[in-house]
This record gives sequence, C-alpha cells and structure tokens, in this order.
Amino acid sequence: MAINFLEAFKFKIKNTAIHNLDPRTKLYFAFTITIVSLCFTDIIPLLILFLAIIPLFLIGKIFTQWLNTLKGLIFLASLIIVIDTLFLSFNLGVAMSIRLFVLISAFSLFFLTVHPDDFSQSLIQIKVPFSFAFALSLAIRFVPTLAQEAQNVREAQMVRGLELQKGNIIKKVKNFIPIIIPLIILSIQRALLIAESLESRGFGATKRRTYLYPLRMKLKDYFLIGLLTAFLVFVIVLLIDKAIPDWMYFRLPF
Amino acid sequence: MIQCQNVWFSYDGITSVLKDITLKIKDGDFVGIMGENGAGKTTLVKLFNGLLKPAKGEIFINDQNVISLSVAELSRIIGFVFQNADHQIFSRTVAEEIGFILKNFKYEESKIQAEVERILQQFDLVRYREQSPFLLSGGERKRVALASILCAHPEILILDEPTIGQDAIEKKKLIELLRSLNENGVTVIIITHDIEFTVEYLPRCILMSNGILVADGPTKYILANEKILKEASLIEPQLVHLCHLLNFESAVLSIEEMKTRILEYLGGAS
Repeated sequence: MAINFLEAFKFKIKNTAIHNLDPRTKLYFAFTITIVSLCFTDIIPLLILFLAIIPLFLIGKIFTQWLNTLKGLIFLASLIIVIDTLFLSFNLGVAMSIRLFVLISAFSLFFLTVHPDDFSQSLIQIKVPFSFAFALSLAIRFVPTLAQEAQNVREAQMVRGLELQKGNIIKKVKNFIPIIIPLIILSIQRALLIAESLESRGFGATKRRTYLYPLRMKLKDYFLIGLLTAFLVFVIVLLIDKAIPDWMYFRLPF
Repeated sequence: MIQCQNVWFSYDGITSVLKDITLKIKDGDFVGIMGENGAGKTTLVKLFNGLLKPAKGEIFINDQNVISLSVAELSRIIGFVFQNADHQIFSRTVAEEIGFILKNFKYEESKIQAEVERILQQFDLVRYREQSPFLLSGGERKRVALASILCAHPEILILDEPTIGQDAIEKKKLIELLRSLNENGVTVIIITHDIEFTVEYLPRCILMSNGILVADGPTKYILANEKILKEASLIEPQLVHLCHLLNFESAVLSIEEMKTRILEYLGGAS
C-alpha cells in the first residue's frame, strides 16, 4: 500500500506535451490547483477540479502510475472519511478525501514528468539557494530507492516469521519496529555515503554554477501560466462576489 | 523437495521476468543458481518462499502448493538469507537478533535461550552476545544474519549472494558450514555470481538468462560448456580458460584433474 503511494515520485523519461513543459510551469500548476482546492470544502467543485486534471495524465502517458498512486491513498482517504464522519460530517469527509486526491494528483503530475535535475534547476532559478534545492531534489530522487528498500526489509522480516497484520492495533504498530529501524539505519548509511561521494567530487567548490542544459521558458509555458493565473483570479473573484452557483454547494443527504 | 511446473512471473503484468520455468530440487541437494543481473534468480527463489506468487504454473514445497501457504508457514520450512544483512538487523543485541525468528515461531523462552546459545557458539559469536549488531563488521553482520535464520532449523536454506564482501577465509568457513548442514540433510540453494566459488564447491548448477532456465545439471558439465556459458552471458571459469589456452579437447573443473592433464601434456612426468 505504502509502496504504491510512492509511485507518485517515480520519474520516467517520455516525450509528451506534459513532459516537454518547463518544470516551473508544472510547479505553478501544482500550486494553483492547491490554492483552488483549498478554497472549497464542498464535493462538487473539488470533484470538478479532480476530473479536470485526469486528461493531463492521459496526455502525459502516466495514467497507470497515477492510478497506482491513488490506490495507495485509498486507506488514508477512508481514514479521513471515518474521522470526519465521527467528529464533523460525512459530507466533509468525502470532500476532504477528494481534496487529498486533487493535491496528490497535482504534485504527482509534477514529480512524474520532471527530471530530478530539472527540478533542482527550476528551484534555483526561482532564487532558492543551491544547497537547499539540491538537498530537496536528492530527497525526491531517493524516494523510489527508499520504497524499494522498505520492500526488501519487509520481505527480510517476513521470511523470519514476522506477520505484520497479526494481532490487535498495538501489536500491529509494534510489528513495524523491525521494518522502521533497519530503514532508518540504511537511510543514515546512505546519507553519509552520498555526503562523502559529493565532497570527494568537489561539491560546493564553486559558488557560481553553470548548466549544460539551462531551462528556458517557451511561449507555451507563458501561455499556460497566464491561463492558470486567469483561472485562479476567476475563482477568487467568484468566491469574493459569492457568485458560486447553488448547485455547487450540493450536500449528500446523509 | 521443491518442484516448479511451467512457472511464469511478471512484476508489472506486461513483461515476464520468469518464463516457463520447470525444475526439481530434491531433498539434500546442494545447488547454485547463476545468471547475469536481471536473469530472474532472486525472483525465482522469492516464489519458493511465497514472497511472490506465480502468474502461471505451480510450485510445490514438500508436495504442498505454495499458493495454499503463507510466508510465515513457509518460513518454517525455508530459511532465506538476504544479500544485504542490514535489511534485517534491528535488535538491541546480537542474541535478540538471532532469537527473533524463534519468538515469531512462538518457541518457549527457555528453548529460545538454548537455541541462541547453541548458534552463538557454532558461529563463534559468543563474545558479541550482548553487543549491538550494528557495531559489528560487514562480515560479522552477515554471519549474524545467517545465524538468525539457521537457529530455526530450516529444511531448505536459500542464500542470496553469500560470498559478496567475504574474504577468502570467511568464504571457506561459510562453505564448510554449508557442507556440514547439507550432510545433515539440509537442502542448500545458493544464488551467486561467483563462478569460481560455484566451480569449486557446488555440485549442481542452474543457469538462468533473461527469465529462462538455460541449463540445469552437474556443475562440471555446465560450466565447461562454452555455448551454454555464452547463452547465460557468463565468463568461463579460469580452469576452463586455461584448458582452451592449452588446446585441450575437453575442459576440466578441478585443480587435481588439471594437474594430471598438464603433466600428461608435458610428457607424462609426475
């Protein structure tokens, strides 16, 4: 389950209209969708937003990977519905689950179609310090590795008779200790190795960096950023003017 | 006994990682599984202990279909030592790490203590009993990993690349231990890239390439066959290479036999 969720970070090189966009455009898209989704707490507008994103995954030929990501989120979404139903309302629970899918989808589109190197470069170009940008891109780069290691550790403990799903809730949590500890140790070991490897190759030796393939915004990127800004302004104006149609506030009868 | 009948497997449902594998590993066999990276060796053994389920075909362990058994049930029969010991080590002390499997099998505390003590002595780890396993060297951690599987007395023992990171003496100790286990009836299966190790110690060899079983039989025939080695993308063992250099008609795979052949070649001196 957790492994499926990490599919959201597995970049694969493809030649599609989405892959060929500038990373900054896709980052802007992710943040725009995030802001818009945070503006609503009702099912219909969030559902419209969610459905509107789906074609982009088809265009980017990453539909299956995206579906796997969502499958990995089903447990979390169900938990949100249960907790919200218990303490607030079922309607809100469903809406918040859809919001979760929207947020993950927006950033999933970014991570699935942006090369980790382009990711760090795009951050640097929006004035994020290089060391921070590099650390962040490195962290994302290692998410699939971490997922694979989690799988290996899980298997290594299962063959020693560990049954993860056995027992009450406290036992189930305890069952994860033999998985979490090796995973933390392996991550620390890897971090130290990477640090040594980076330093031995002159990391940080020069302040000013150049790039073999510098990122350049194209006309289509400017057009899309304009379109997204117009969409964001449109939504905010609708909300300020209270001009959202009534049918968008539809609530489930239970 | 392990029986695979026309086994197919795929991780993504599209590309087959194992293609129509049929083989039998009898009780007491001592087998090496070889092949290039991505040949499907580890995937195959993960099917044996239920970590993966075949897409097509059937696998029987002691005449029981693996589909009907859980990984926990199969782990009582099959011990699997992973390539990287750090994937399993988590306990505070070496003794706790070794006793983990027995705790999971719900052994009594006194039995766990006795078994842990026995295995600590067998593996020369007594002085590390109360030490953190994380503070041991790589080779010692590998020994702890192997000890933590063997203390449950598996009928079948599978080791994934056990010789990686081991020096010559540790390798020799390892093979002596595996031989003694095998003599006591344990079936031993070793996944390895170490062709010289296979030549020297493993009597049976299974060669895989690109998910296909290329060859299965006595090591001395398989690893001396140039055509088979080429098919499995393996480089010939040094003795076979020497035979080719000396233009011997057939290859030999033991030092003793090579000595005899060289002496014959030199004119019968002894």
